[in-house]
Amino acid sequence: MTPVLDVRSLRKHFPIRTGMLGRVSGHVKAVDDVSFTIDRGETLSLVGESGCGKTTTSRCILRAIAPTAGEILFQGNDIAQLQRKDLRPLRRQMQMIFQDPFSSLNPRMTISEIIGEPLLVNGMTNNAERNARVAELLTLVQLPTAYMNRFPHAFSGGQRQRIGIARALALHPSLIVADEPVSALDVSVQAQIVNLLIELQDRLGLAILFVAHDLSVVKHVSHRVAVMYVGRIVELAPTRTLFATPRHPYTEALLSAVPVPDPRRRASRIVLEGDVADPSNPPTGCHFHPRCRYATDRCKVETPPLVEVAPGHAVRCLRTDEIALGSVTPPQN
Amino acid sequence: MADPILSVRDLHTHFFADEGVVRAVDGTSFDLFAGQTLGIVGESGCGKSVTARSILRIVDRPGRIVSGEILLRRADGSVTDMVKLPADSREARAIRGGEIGLVFQEPMSSLSAFHTIGNQLIEAIRLHASLSKKQARARAIELLAMVGIPRPEQRVDAYSFELSGGLRQRVMVALALAGEPRILIADEPTTALDVTTQAQILELIRSLQRERDLAVILITHDMGVIAEMADDVVVMYLGKEVEKGPVDAIFHAPNHPYTRALLRSIPSILAEPREKLATIAGSIPHPFARPNGCPFHPRCSETLPGVCDTQVPATVQIGERQAAACHLLSGKTA
Repeated sequence: MTPVLDVRSLRKHFPIRTGMLGRVSGHVKAVDDVSFTIDRGETLSLVGESGCGKTTTSRCILRAIAPTAGEILFQGNDIAQLQRKDLRPLRRQMQMIFQDPFSSLNPRMTISEIIGEPLLVNGMTNNAERNARVAELLTLVQLPTAYMNRFPHAFSGGQRQRIGIARALALHPSLIVADEPVSALDVSVQAQIVNLLIELQDRLGLAILFVAHDLSVVKHVSHRVAVMYVGRIVELAPTRTLFATPRHPYTEALLSAVPVPDPRRRASRIVLEGDVADPSNPPTGCHFHPRCRYATDRCKVETPPLVEVAPGHAVRCLRTDEIALGSVTPPQN
Repeated sequence: MADPILSVRDLHTHFFADEGVVRAVDGTSFDLFAGQTLGIVGESGCGKSVTARSILRIVDRPGRIVSGEILLRRADGSVTDMVKLPADSREARAIRGGEIGLVFQEPMSSLSAFHTIGNQLIEAIRLHASLSKKQARARAIELLAMVGIPRPEQRVDAYSFELSGGLRQRVMVALALAGEPRILIADEPTTALDVTTQAQILELIRSLQRERDLAVILITHDMGVIAEMADDVVVMYLGKEVEKGPVDAIFHAPNHPYTRALLRSIPSILAEPREKLATIAGSIPHPFARPNGCPFHPRCSETLPGVCDTQVPATVQIGERQAAACHLLSGKTA
């Protein structure tokens, strides 16, 4: 079966222009050789610190920006270099859920106009037909259909996020890109939206690219997880494997930094020194070596390849077979 | 146990808007001890930030403290009620930034983009100590080194936008410490940061607390951060303190239905992949549409009709140090 999305060696380099003539003096390698696939009904999460390239990757896939190189096979067709007009028919099949439910809905439009707009744009001009579909979508995201003619200000953050999801689902997409969809919500509401996404995916067979920084949320929603560091995937594995047996020192440090909601489990953490490397001037060799506690001289010069260490588990580390890494241990009763 | 350094007693801070009165803080009491961390946790609109701002007397209009006491035990042993001090008095200003330091959530918007971080630090230092500019600059470099900023002699002349988010938050901590406070209030100090940077900042607060016997009030919505840092916890909902107690009791023997529901609904890194979360029905009410009786009753799974929707629950003491405000605990039935 062809995956819904197959990204191969994706690169996005932003030129740095300096001086009056705007000469290109370097490049920010925001995304540098990223490859992954997402099947129907599957959620792949992209995680990493700010500036690691996870949002740029998702924007390339949606073709909000043009990638520098690489292939983006969407349902088997390469869309990486398609022109605007050739992209249009594909756009309805890939939709986005935004982070901020307050700025992503037009305050001057009613809910039925917001959710109905993609339908109207794609030729559903009959009002009755369109309203019926809007009502169906509202039911799908568990909002009362009676709210159809209200404006966004009447809704709470969680309800707005449901409206955003309904809009994304209006045209029966096969791929949803969700960039931090729950990070702006309160804890009690966050749980409702996480569950809704899981339910909708199981029902509609959606492929979801989930971009997030909260590893606890990621664990609840994903089938597989890709960890990014300075534009590259450093580890990709099924969720359970990644959390139980991480094979990259960066993944180990990320997992260790997540606070566990149990005061009896105050563990000694691996505190990473310094900040994320500058993507316009990344360190030589392995990008992570200046912050890695296992780094040797070899890591400073040799760029590690992404190697499959077990079926479906790929790691970009020269020393992965030599080091024993800690993981998230289950609670002891 | 020693005397508390700060005692808040039945604090009420309300906002008088044209549309009505928002009871942002509606009866909060707690004690803070030197060397200890008090965590105040709750969702948006619960009044946790307004509590902090009330303590510092920096509540913006149309808000004001309606009643209650904020008793600050001074270094000389005397007790000052912050509520009785005029907010802009010399004494209140000396306490703000002097005895009580504050770390805000947004390091980008809380630091000036027009002054070097050194100048901002020097200003804060000289407000609370009579030092020459040169001495203050040396002290600023010392503070930057103390909060773990590499090459402080050079960074002292940097602007905030030249620093990363983590370094900026370290500068915020240095600023809060400039007046040698005995109390540090940190309002969502790590919310805008990556997990790895969050771990660094929490570790920094912990080590500074150990060195200087600081009393810390940590305000956050993140139960993970609370579990990691707090000695005592106050759980707030819609301006009400619903439960408080030692951190272990809050997490392992919670008494209030809201505390229990909140703990069940947080995503955990220990969960099974694709595991659904327990949810709390509904959403946080609008501040002008506050429910009668117990503020949590419309979302509570154990609500008693005729009781919870009409009467405000009293705070019930459970054991020596834990208390919760719930009708179920006072033995009421429907």
